[in-house]
Amino acid sequence: MRIRVYAASFCSFENIDRDGYMVLPDGAVLDDVYKRLQVPWLYRRIVFATVNYKKVSLKTRLQDGDVVSFLSALGGG
Amino acid sequence: MKGTMGKVLRVDLTTGDIRQEDIPDEVYENYLSGVGLGAHYLYKHIPAGADPMGPENILGIVSGVLTNTGSLVTGRWMAVCKSPLTGGWGDANCGGTLAPAIKQCGVDAIFFTGISPKPVYLYMDSAGAELRDAAHVWGKDAVEAEEILQQECKTKKTPKVAVIGQAGENKSLISGIVNDAGRISARSGVGAVMGSKRLKAVVLQGSGKTEIADGDGMKAYSKEVATKVKNANLPKFFKGFLFPYLGLLMSKQKKVSAMDGMLAAMINKKYGTCVVNTMGMTNGDCPVKNWQGSVVDFKKKQYKKLNPDNVLARETRKYHCSSCVIGCGGICDISDIKGGKYAHTHKPEYETCSSFGCLSLNDDLDAIFYINEMLNRAGMDTISAGNTVAFAIECFENGILTEADTGGIRLKWGDADAIIALLEKMITREGIGDVLADGVKVASQRIGKNTEQFAVHVGGQEPGMHNPKLDPLLGIHFSDPTPGRHTIGGAIYYNSMHLWKEVSWAPEVTKYPKAEEYIPSDREALKSIAGTAYKMLTDSAGGCFFAMILGVDHWNLFKMLNMATGWDLSADEYMKIGTRIQTVRQLFNIKHGVDPRDSIPTGRVKGDPPLTGGALKGITLDIEEMVRLTWKNFGWNENTGVPEDKLINDLQLNELIE
Repeated sequence: MRIRVYAASFCSFENIDRDGYMVLPDGAVLDDVYKRLQVPWLYRRIVFATVNYKKVSLKTRLQDGDVVSFLSALGGG
Repeated sequence: MKGTMGKVLRVDLTTGDIRQEDIPDEVYENYLSGVGLGAHYLYKHIPAGADPMGPENILGIVSGVLTNTGSLVTGRWMAVCKSPLTGGWGDANCGGTLAPAIKQCGVDAIFFTGISPKPVYLYMDSAGAELRDAAHVWGKDAVEAEEILQQECKTKKTPKVAVIGQAGENKSLISGIVNDAGRISARSGVGAVMGSKRLKAVVLQGSGKTEIADGDGMKAYSKEVATKVKNANLPKFFKGFLFPYLGLLMSKQKKVSAMDGMLAAMINKKYGTCVVNTMGMTNGDCPVKNWQGSVVDFKKKQYKKLNPDNVLARETRKYHCSSCVIGCGGICDISDIKGGKYAHTHKPEYETCSSFGCLSLNDDLDAIFYINEMLNRAGMDTISAGNTVAFAIECFENGILTEADTGGIRLKWGDADAIIALLEKMITREGIGDVLADGVKVASQRIGKNTEQFAVHVGGQEPGMHNPKLDPLLGIHFSDPTPGRHTIGGAIYYNSMHLWKEVSWAPEVTKYPKAEEYIPSDREALKSIAGTAYKMLTDSAGGCFFAMILGVDHWNLFKMLNMATGWDLSADEYMKIGTRIQTVRQLFNIKHGVDPRDSIPTGRVKGDPPLTGGALKGITLDIEEMVRLTWKNFGWNENTGVPEDKLINDLQLNELIE
C-alpha cells in the first residue's frame, strides 16, 4: 500500500519517493513509518505524527491512501 | 460582481462630501478586492509627491472578496495609504470582527481624503453614512473610545469600530488603527494618516449580505475545512517547555522538505503565535539585543520565563476572529499587574513578546503583558516601538543619550520599568518621547551622532521579529514595497503551502539540502515570487496568513475565489492577478520617489557584521543577489527594481500608469 508522508526535515527520506509517498506492506502500523524514517528514539516524545489529522497510537494499522503528517512549527505574529 | 458589493464609499473630510462610487467589474477582475482594489485606487488617485500627512493622501479601509461569503478564515480587513513611515506604499491588516461589517454596510471599501477641520468619526449603516463630531472621544485611548462609540451608536446590534488611540492622534509614524478592543492594524504608520485627517473612528452597523455564485459549494467546502481543523489538536503531553527543543531540531536540520501546514494549525489553536518566544531562541529566529545578540546574551534562565505555557496561564478565554475556525486569539487577565491599571488584554503576539523581550533583554513577562495593553490602547505598533526602545537603550549604553536627554530615565538592557516609562513618553510625545515617536530612522536622524549604526530598519520601517538568517527567503520578502514585513512569506511557509500542485511555475519542494536556501538561485527567487503573489491574493480575499500557510490542500484560495465570483479561472490566472497587485505596489513606490534598492535589508538584519553566537553565528546573507534574481524573474529590472515594459504590457498596466 502507498501512504502520503509529510516527514520532518531531520528524518531519513530514503524510503519516500519523489512524490512524497512511502510503500508499506499490508498490515503496517504507524511505528513502521517511524522506523523507516529513522526518527531518533529520543525525539519520539516531542515529534509526533498524525494519521489523517488525528492523533493515534504507534500501533495504529494504516490503510492505503492514509496521510501521515509530522508536526511542523511555523512562526508568525 | 458576485462576491463583492460593486462599490466603495468616498469621504472628503475637508468638505464633508460623502458619496458612493461604482467600481467597474474589470477592476475586480484585474485586482479582486482588498489590497488589490486598494492598490489600484490609491495608485490612480494619489498624486505623485503627495504629503502622506496631507489632504491628498487617501486612507482606505478595505475588505476582501471572500469576506462575509460563508468562506472560512477570511475575516481580515486592510488599511491602505501612502505610508508616512516609508514614503511609499503602506498597508496593514487585522482580524477581529470589523471586516464583514464593511461589506454589510454595502461597500467593499471606504476611502478618506482631505483633512477635517475638527475631530470627527464616520458612522455608516445600510442606509447611508455621515460624519459626526468626535470631540468627546478625542484624547481617549482606543478601547475607551470604542466602548463609548458602541454605546452611543448601538441600535439592534453592537456596531463594529475602527479607531485610533493617542499615538495616532499625535501622528506617531509608528501608530496603527485599532478594532475589537485592542487588536491593531499596526504597520506602515496607518494610524498617523488617520490622525492627520482628524478622523478618530469609523463606526459600522450594516446588515447586508454578500451574494456569491456557488453558495452550496462554499458551504460544503467550508465544512470540509472546518472538520480538518477541528480534528487537528496537539496531544496533551505536548507542553510549552518542549518548544526550545523543537527549535533546536529546526536549527540542526540539514534538509528541506515539504511540510503539512495543517499541523501548524494545531499549535496555533492551542497557543497562538507565542510558541516562537522560546523556540525562536534556540533556532535563532528571535532577534536579540537590538539585532546584535543571540541566545548567549539572553540565556535559557531568562527566555524560559517567556514559555508559552506562562502566557496561557493568564488566558481566561479563547476567541476566534470572524469566520475563523483556528482561533489563535485569547483574552488574558492582567488585573494583578502594576496595581491593576488594566483588567485584561489580548493574548500578546509573539512579535510583542519578542520586541519587548529578547530584543531589549527583558525577561519580565508581566511587564510584556502590561506593555501589550498599553500600546494596544494607545494604538502604537509594538514591533516598531520595540525596535525603537532597543535603539534608545543602545544609544544610552554608548553615552549618546543621557539622563538629561531622557528626563531622568536610566535606560539599560532588561529594565522593564525604564522601558515602560520611555513608552509612556513616546505615546504622549513628551521630551525624549517626541524624538522617538516616529521610529528608529527618524530618531537617528534627529539625534545624529552616528546613531544610524544602531537604527535597525528596512526602507524606513522596523523589521518584524524574525531573523532572515534563519530563513533567507524571508530576507527577500523584507524588500517588499512595505519593507521589513514578516507576513509576506518565507521558505518555511512556502514549504507548507504546496503551491506547486496548482501553479505551473511554482517550484516544487521535494527534498534538498537546507544550505541551498542560502545560495541565490532562480528557484529560490521563483519561490519568493509565488509566495508573494499568493499572499497578494490572500490579502485581496480577506484571508488570514495562518489559513494561507495551511496550504492549498487544506485551504484552497483558488477554489474559494471561483465559488464566490462564479469565475472559472485557473490557479495560474489568479497568480497573474497576484503578480499584478504586487507590481502596482512596486510602481506606487516608484511613482512616489521611493527607490526599491533602499528596501533591501542591510546591516545587522542581513548579518553584517555576523552574529558571534547562537544558531546563526557567522552567517551573512548575500541578500542583494537574492533580491536581484527575484526582481529579474518577476520581470522587474534586476538592478533597479523598476518593472520592465514587457511586464507592464503583459499585465495591462499601461493605462493605469500613464
